[in-house]
Amino acid sequence: MKIYYLMKKELIEILRQKQMIFMVIVSPVFQLLIFGYIATTDVKNLPVEIINISNSRYSQEIINRIEKSPLFIIKKITSRYESPIKNMKEGKIKAAILFRDSFDRKRNPSGFPDIQILMDGVDSNSSLIAAGYFNGIINDFLLTEFDKKGISVAVKGKSLLRYNPELKSINYMGPAIVAMLLTVIALFLTSSSIVREKEQQTIDTLLISRLKPVEIYLGKALPMLFVGLLDMFLGVTLVVLWFKIPIKGSIFQLLIASIIYLTAILSIALLISTFTNSQQEAMFFAWFSMITFILLSGLYTPVENIPWGLRWITKINPLQYLMKIIREIFLKGNGMKFFYKDIFSLIIIGSITISFSLFIFKKTVSK
Amino acid sequence: MSENIIEVKGLTKKYGDFTAVNSINFNIKRGEILTLLGPNGAGKTTTIKMITGLLKISSGKIFLNGKDTTDTPDEIKKISGYMSQKFSLYPLLTPLENVEFFAGISGLKSKEIKEKKSELKKIVPENLLKIKVESLPPGVKQKIALFSALLSKPDILFLDEPTSGVDPEVRRDFWFEIYELKATGKTILVSTHNLDEVEFSDRVIILHRGEIILSGEPEKLLKEYNTNSFEGIFKEVIAENEKA
Repeated sequence: MKIYYLMKKELIEILRQKQMIFMVIVSPVFQLLIFGYIATTDVKNLPVEIINISNSRYSQEIINRIEKSPLFIIKKITSRYESPIKNMKEGKIKAAILFRDSFDRKRNPSGFPDIQILMDGVDSNSSLIAAGYFNGIINDFLLTEFDKKGISVAVKGKSLLRYNPELKSINYMGPAIVAMLLTVIALFLTSSSIVREKEQQTIDTLLISRLKPVEIYLGKALPMLFVGLLDMFLGVTLVVLWFKIPIKGSIFQLLIASIIYLTAILSIALLISTFTNSQQEAMFFAWFSMITFILLSGLYTPVENIPWGLRWITKINPLQYLMKIIREIFLKGNGMKFFYKDIFSLIIIGSITISFSLFIFKKTVSK
Repeated sequence: MSENIIEVKGLTKKYGDFTAVNSINFNIKRGEILTLLGPNGAGKTTTIKMITGLLKISSGKIFLNGKDTTDTPDEIKKISGYMSQKFSLYPLLTPLENVEFFAGISGLKSKEIKEKKSELKKIVPENLLKIKVESLPPGVKQKIALFSALLSKPDILFLDEPTSGVDPEVRRDFWFEIYELKATGKTILVSTHNLDEVEFSDRVIILHRGEIILSGEPEKLLKEYNTNSFEGIFKEVIAENEKA
């Protein structure tokens, strides 16, 4: 019962601080909307220059197809060779396509069309995606032409995309951003909770009270768990209603995974709050932890792409597991039997971090 | 029952090479007001924190009612009330919420908490009860902090510089309250650096650089040093100690 009064006090303190209300309610909604629109790998409106020296029916056919695509905007078409490098360097175009005069079959008896695609590789990911689209347009054109001429192609491939057939990156990123925001809120809010008591000198009153260290610890953690789940609910609602990404799996399983995840992340935040001596110091460590967790979580790049030497760190990063679970539930509708190993890993990480954090808290309060 | 509620023997606190409190011995008699007097950094707060179990001691022994409780500081915590220099109140909570919180964590039942909140209304003006503590004057904060420290019904009250930052009138009122508490049988250990507060106590211990340099009953000490005020005694013993 004593712990109830500590939890109530914690919640009142959160509600009395305008910046906390902003951080708990306004900031996640705002960040999710912003991230939802900008954290995309979709290629749209890519500015392109076309150098059509060939000026043939075939090249015109391909240009027409590029023009019709919503992915590209043709900024310039020329029939004389001009180096596109200057425009690319100035950022006016991101891609250039050169149709050489050998492109016309009549003047190129070898039968090899000669098209050169030049990409701005600064954003390698978008460049590769755009190059893939260009090749797709060209291949599609060639197959149509072969068909018209009655030439049969020995091997025809067709890709079928499941779980995210429109290849919308928001479907992939949206749920992951919810997991990321949960981390940010839990780390920043909780890491200041014990250190604030130190600054106010109220920690001594707490420690001399009838509360046991474990009760103080839980009294601090449980309100934050509640706040974290509230943010999870807000984030998921926004993703489902605003970005129209349906949850294909079980919300209950998502809740269980989130609670286990929050246990781990809150104990890390309380550990930070225990060993720091000022809220500023705590914020620094929270920020450092947040960046590390996010970069090694698979939010932007698959964990498999991380070099082998660093990949082991992802194994102890709880966010990596929640990221995977939330995508499995949202996109694939998978259940526990598909991610029980991740849940198990989260339980292990959560158990270790809470035990260690509580041990350090007990040790610190009696130094 | 022993005359001394608490006895400390060879109490020491070291932080690396620095010794904050160096092997001090004293006792706190049941029902007395004992003042720890000393300049900033003398070791007053460290001593209180060690006795109350808020700081781990480096060496020495603490006895509660004659029983060694050095390794079981919770036993002293159970009978202690504590008020720190900053009054230990939650600035974002109202006086009523603070009292509810401290009463709640002290294990009081809902009915008792209600009663305590009603009692608070007698010592804090009605119009101040529902505003945040951060907006209250220091004197009112001090009253609420003392009221809160007493919610756990402690036998012994530890007051760490309770009058710092308040005006002389409020300080005088505060000492009247301390006398009233003494009359109810409470034992009180007060730390202060205000020399004029010594006369209110039954005994005084002067700490300097972590060591006890003088102790005794204020009146006897004044006679012994043949002076009317504690200022002269304080300056003299500090100067002697610095020479040594």
